[in-house]
Amino acid sequence: MRNKFPNTGNSQLFESSNSSINRIKLYAIISLFLIIVGSGISYWTSERIEYYTSALMETQDIIQRTSELYSSILERETNIRGFVLTGDEKFLTNYRQSLIDAELLLNSLKELKENNPYQLQNLEELEDLIKIRVDTFELTIKYYQQNGSLDGFVSPARVSSALDGYRSIKEVVKIINDEENRVFVDRNRSLLNNINALPFIVGIISLISISVGFITLFSIFHYNKVQKLASKRIKNYQEKLRDQLYLLDDSNKELEQFAYVASHDLQEPLRKITAFSDLLKEQYAEILEGEGELYLSRMTVAANRMRRLITDLLEYSRAGRTNSEEEKEIDLNAVSESVLDDLEIAILEKKAKVEINKLPVVLGKETEFRQVFQNLISNALKFSKPGVEPEIKISCEQANDNEIKKFSQLDPEIDYYKIEIQDNGIGFDSNYSDKIFAIFQRLHGKEAFEGTGIGLSISKKIIEKYDGAIYATSKPGDGSKFIILLPVLKS
Amino acid sequence: MLVKKPINILIAEDDDDDKLLIIKAFQKTLPKENVTCVSDGEALLQYLNQVAPFDQVEKFPIPDIILLDLNMPKKDGRTALAEIKSHENFKKIPVIIFTTSNLKDDIEITYKMGSNSFITKPGSFEGLVKVAKEIENYWSKTVMLPV
Repeated sequence: MRNKFPNTGNSQLFESSNSSINRIKLYAIISLFLIIVGSGISYWTSERIEYYTSALMETQDIIQRTSELYSSILERETNIRGFVLTGDEKFLTNYRQSLIDAELLLNSLKELKENNPYQLQNLEELEDLIKIRVDTFELTIKYYQQNGSLDGFVSPARVSSALDGYRSIKEVVKIINDEENRVFVDRNRSLLNNINALPFIVGIISLISISVGFITLFSIFHYNKVQKLASKRIKNYQEKLRDQLYLLDDSNKELEQFAYVASHDLQEPLRKITAFSDLLKEQYAEILEGEGELYLSRMTVAANRMRRLITDLLEYSRAGRTNSEEEKEIDLNAVSESVLDDLEIAILEKKAKVEINKLPVVLGKETEFRQVFQNLISNALKFSKPGVEPEIKISCEQANDNEIKKFSQLDPEIDYYKIEIQDNGIGFDSNYSDKIFAIFQRLHGKEAFEGTGIGLSISKKIIEKYDGAIYATSKPGDGSKFIILLPVLKS
Repeated sequence: MLVKKPINILIAEDDDDDKLLIIKAFQKTLPKENVTCVSDGEALLQYLNQVAPFDQVEKFPIPDIILLDLNMPKKDGRTALAEIKSHENFKKIPVIIFTTSNLKDDIEITYKMGSNSFITKPGSFEGLVKVAKEIENYWSKTVMLPV
């Protein structure tokens, strides 16, 4: 009886441990992705805050300069007035300085507003209005310098145009400032929005990251649990395996014990039966009446046969067992040649022709392969057709895939030799091609062919020990073919 | 020509049937009184040392050869052989191992211990008679034994 090891639980275990490690990997990737996205958004937001802050400062700057520009016109007006009233040239110097200042202010404002066409247009309008005023100022100075007073220069039309000019300038300055204020408010709102959004975004990303972190942690715990369970199960299997090995060892020892009992204790009484029947026959043969002597000789024959059976059984149980002989590379040509030497007398008697082609070198024990070839060749000689000279042909080729697949014990991944031993003997019914390899199975009566029927079962045991297979094909009266498949020796 | 005195054989054999068969076989060539049997190794040593019940020298003479079975109760053949071969007076007596065993190890070890022959018990009585004749012929006629 053979105990099968359960294997379904194991594969499940490994699958679940695999899936949880995959999950951990996925979570780690998600965490990493979230952290990268979070950092990107935070960086982007802070950049925007910086942008809006500097833009706000720029707006304030523009409002201030526009005011300065306006006051510089008033300043020039005041200086002109001072000059006209007093004739002091110092007022003229101040006026000229203010003119340069205003020019610089206007240029810097235009530069700042390069990207705002609306404000640029307003500034140009302002510039034109200022220019009109300045032209009037220049005319006033010229007139005063030529005439020493402004008599005849000031007219109601001039006064009204001066008032209109101031109003227009004031209006344009207001428009510019209003626009700047609007922009200021917009930018301020955006800045506030960004500042407010930053903690919110960071908060959400942190929350998701923390959740993913917890899930990862949980998965790791789960993975560890599964791993522990798996190692515990593996340990259990190992223990079971060890127990099985001990059992196997015990049963091997029992088998050895059995072999000893069979060889010694069983043979002992048998030997005595033979010996005493011999003694009886020798001393009292003439006294025995009727068929007494016949019975006695039948008894002896039966006892002898039993001894032969016991010896063969013992040989079968020893076949393929570990012994001191070392496994090595065996040249089957040399083995079969030496078997032919041993069978020389039988071969000569039967006038048999034996042809041996090139045989391979295989791994194994010489005595075992000798036994196999001895059995097969002597069978071929034994079961020859009466009156026909036996022809035995031994050859080898590479086995093809289909032949290998027929035997579940063979490995389809490796190459096999196919060794054939063919004869022209009496053959057998192919229905019996499995039966002939069973122990003590015979297809012919004991009277027709001697032997216990152990040879082929020993051969099968040996070939299977070397991970090979043996089978036979035949037709009655048409000779038989024994085929051995053996793994090709790896160089 | 000097007629040789028949040799004395001492057999150590525990099995009664075997004892009977061996004695029968030897009696074909030797007088009855020249074949003696003991049942185990201990009795064998007692016989050689002439300890009771083997203390009558006329009835239990020192044997010329010993036939020794290996598997016996009390003291087995191997131990008995070791004791004989380490005894100053007895080690000159040829010891023939006569057993059912044909194990390589048994053969090798007993020769190493100083046994003089190793014979596996034949299966038939005819075979036994043949072996008995050969033993008698070889040890009493072919070879010279110590006196």
